[in-house]
Amino acid sequence: MTSNSPRNVPSMAYFVGLFLMLGLVLWALPPDRGAATKMAPAERTAAAPAAPAAPAAVETRPTSAAAAPAEPAVPTAVIPAAAAVAAAAAPAAATVAVPVREPGADYDAARWSPLHFRPAIDTATNEQCLECHREVLEPSVRTASPAGLPAAVTLAWYQTLDTYAGPQDTFHRRHLVSGMAQDLMDLQCTFCHRGSDPREEAPVPPTLTDAGFTLRKSVNPETSCLACHGRFPWEHMEGLAGPWEHERETYEPEPGTNGCLACHNSEAGFRSVRHRVSYLKAEAIEAAAETNADTCYGCHGGRSWYRISYPYPRHPWPDMPEETPEWAKGRPAASDPRYALPKE
Amino acid sequence: MADNTDKTRIQVAIKERKRVGYTPVVPDTQLGFVHNNVDCIGCRACEIACKDKNGLPPGPRFRRVMYVEGGRFPDVFAYKVNMSCNHCAEPACLPTCPTGAIFKRQKDGIVDIDSTLCIGCRRCEAACPFGAPQFDPTTNTVSKCNMCVDEIDAGRKPYCVMGCMMRVLDIGPIDKIRDGTHPTKAIGPGDHTVRQVRNMANPDLTNPSIAFVPHPKGRVEG
Repeated sequence: MTSNSPRNVPSMAYFVGLFLMLGLVLWALPPDRGAATKMAPAERTAAAPAAPAAPAAVETRPTSAAAAPAEPAVPTAVIPAAAAVAAAAAPAAATVAVPVREPGADYDAARWSPLHFRPAIDTATNEQCLECHREVLEPSVRTASPAGLPAAVTLAWYQTLDTYAGPQDTFHRRHLVSGMAQDLMDLQCTFCHRGSDPREEAPVPPTLTDAGFTLRKSVNPETSCLACHGRFPWEHMEGLAGPWEHERETYEPEPGTNGCLACHNSEAGFRSVRHRVSYLKAEAIEAAAETNADTCYGCHGGRSWYRISYPYPRHPWPDMPEETPEWAKGRPAASDPRYALPKE
Repeated sequence: MADNTDKTRIQVAIKERKRVGYTPVVPDTQLGFVHNNVDCIGCRACEIACKDKNGLPPGPRFRRVMYVEGGRFPDVFAYKVNMSCNHCAEPACLPTCPTGAIFKRQKDGIVDIDSTLCIGCRRCEAACPFGAPQFDPTTNTVSKCNMCVDEIDAGRKPYCVMGCMMRVLDIGPIDKIRDGTHPTKAIGPGDHTVRQVRNMANPDLTNPSIAFVPHPKGRVEG
């Protein structure tokens, strides 16, 4: 349709009528209401009824008002325009979250610090990690659950082992600063945290290998937790008819003896070279095992979270059978180079 | 979940500090999730529905849609992997809990948590290979997906499933999902499900009750 079309004549009459109606509506409005629509926001606030506005402005900014010095009371009717705007904005300020980040800390820079990625993380020390993440070593377990269950009276099944001591604690403290961790282990933060991608995307490299990330999780339990929280593979052990908790009385007729060492010694010919890794204190473990039967079982089935066993490397031991059993085929003969101790 | 007999035995053992073992629950039926990695558009409606249902504050997310992108032009790709708690056949979180807050239901295998019994030791969070338990620093407790167990008991499906506009997320008996006999729109004609996709933790750790329709680039076997 073009502008010189005769069919435009009714359309023009329609628009003329519309403008006339709009003019009548504006004429019928009260003068102050029409003026309010033309006011600036600040002027509009100042012109608003004073009584309800003032208390609302004061009461709804608890965070900033508590910290700021007290201001002299000003009658709302004479609030300058700028102050009135601030008062109107106060309710919005009240919804701002209390800052939980330390002032001055550059979290984005820290998040993408090279220390969080390979290769720098491979040589990172606990001191470097704890410089920022020191809260992981602070006791943080609740004294009681929200329902009132005291932490002091709870005990998990694995906490009935002889090696368990002390009150309930976080897993970070259990692995880094507890008595057992100090005596038998030498865990570094980087044993579990081996370089994480702070994004939640997992890139797939052009090759068909994994990118080294674990979806939704920055730590891969298969390469860390499983070493001490795997299942006890009793099916592969000669002489055992069931899980160790069922069989141990056969091998430990007297309290204080360690049934594991009945077979795992240099004379019996079963694996006697073990724990040759830097994250464990092999000599201390052997010494503790002599006096505490649960020292071995604690990490070999006594705290098994997972339904598979860790494929421990088969360090050659005296009288080691030449033929590798079926279940052990494919296992390495040496520890992970990152944790392997120098050969004696 | 321990029965009453076990509870008595455990209480006695606690007093005597006698060693006790752990026996996983074998459910009558194991419910699980299925997610179609290919057809998911990553709208995160499931995440929001979950947060809404559970009243979660900023931070904890029971369900998470993860974007996987890669390749080199012109062979580029993108797909989504969607996981919450996988209600594992043998969950790693359950045996870690020192208060018994985490339990597995006998009738449908749902792994639930009573966060009012949580003391915030965060062991479950560390043990789970799939990042399911979520720590809430405001309460110093852990909570997690319970497959909207109240909806399940009412004969309905979880909020995340009901919120999925593409119908790429569903639940059902995991054995039927895996053998393709469970009727669901998440598995298209000719689709086959897998237990694991690339960059996911080894399912042998806990036998998670989840199946995926994988993207060709997300197949573990290549």
